[in-house]
Amino acid sequence: MFLINCPFCGERDQSEFSSGGEAHIVRPKQPTELSDDEWAEYLFMRKNIKGIQFERWNHVHGCRKWFNVVRDTSNDKILSVYKMGEKPPVNYK
Amino acid sequence: MLDILHPNISNINKNNIDINLSEEKIKINIRGKNKEFFTKVGKILSIILPTESNTSSSNENYDVLWLSPDEWMINFDENKNSNIFDQLYKDISSLNFGSITDISSQLICINIKGENIFELLSSGSPFNFEKFKNNVGSSTQTIVNHIDVILHHKSKNNVNLFVRRSFSEHLYEWLVDSSNFV
Repeated sequence: MFLINCPFCGERDQSEFSSGGEAHIVRPKQPTELSDDEWAEYLFMRKNIKGIQFERWNHVHGCRKWFNVVRDTSNDKILSVYKMGEKPPVNYK
Repeated sequence: MLDILHPNISNINKNNIDINLSEEKIKINIRGKNKEFFTKVGKILSIILPTESNTSSSNENYDVLWLSPDEWMINFDENKNSNIFDQLYKDISSLNFGSITDISSQLICINIKGENIFELLSSGSPFNFEKFKNNVGSSTQTIVNHIDVILHHKSKNNVNLFVRRSFSEHLYEWLVDSSNFV
């Protein structure tokens, strides 16, 4: 268990949140022009790394807002939290 | 058998904790973010919407709870201003300045009073009540006994707990049972 600093409500327990998977996946502008492999790549393939990962989270039992989190998956440390639409912090890339 | 329209919630006093049902409350959910929305709501309710997270604003007629950056809940006694929903709907929702929803039937308001109420709530919630209990007017959405609730610290050691009607009896029974152990 860990604490997440919701950008709207403040620090809350992880049990109030729901993970939305990897962040910053951009939907292709012309899906009809993609091959099956490219479409499957966009739709299903996700990173599952040990280390720093950019994720989407939803404060489902609180303000119900989505936001982005930079989390180190090796120790569950939250390194940064930022709102949807904001640019990811460059120092973790 | 659960009667969801009239939940079986009676007044209980255990270990300096009073638990009772506040059925008469009207609840209205309002959503919006543009300037016209804030102006119209301010004019109709004579209240400034709280923009700081986990806070509320009150006057003699209404309590307005912050739920998220663009969502609030207004609650008040049904005897007062019964046409306020129509007024808000006409001036905001129908003009697309925001959205107004009557959620009176969706939520039940359970009032909890007493010195040990925060120990009781803490025993089933991951929320840290330290700041909440020291600030009258605080509001929050969290989980109590795995159930989504909205909490409003109305006055010192007096909390209004809003819960979905279908969960209300179960949560009430948990509150009564847990109050034996605080």
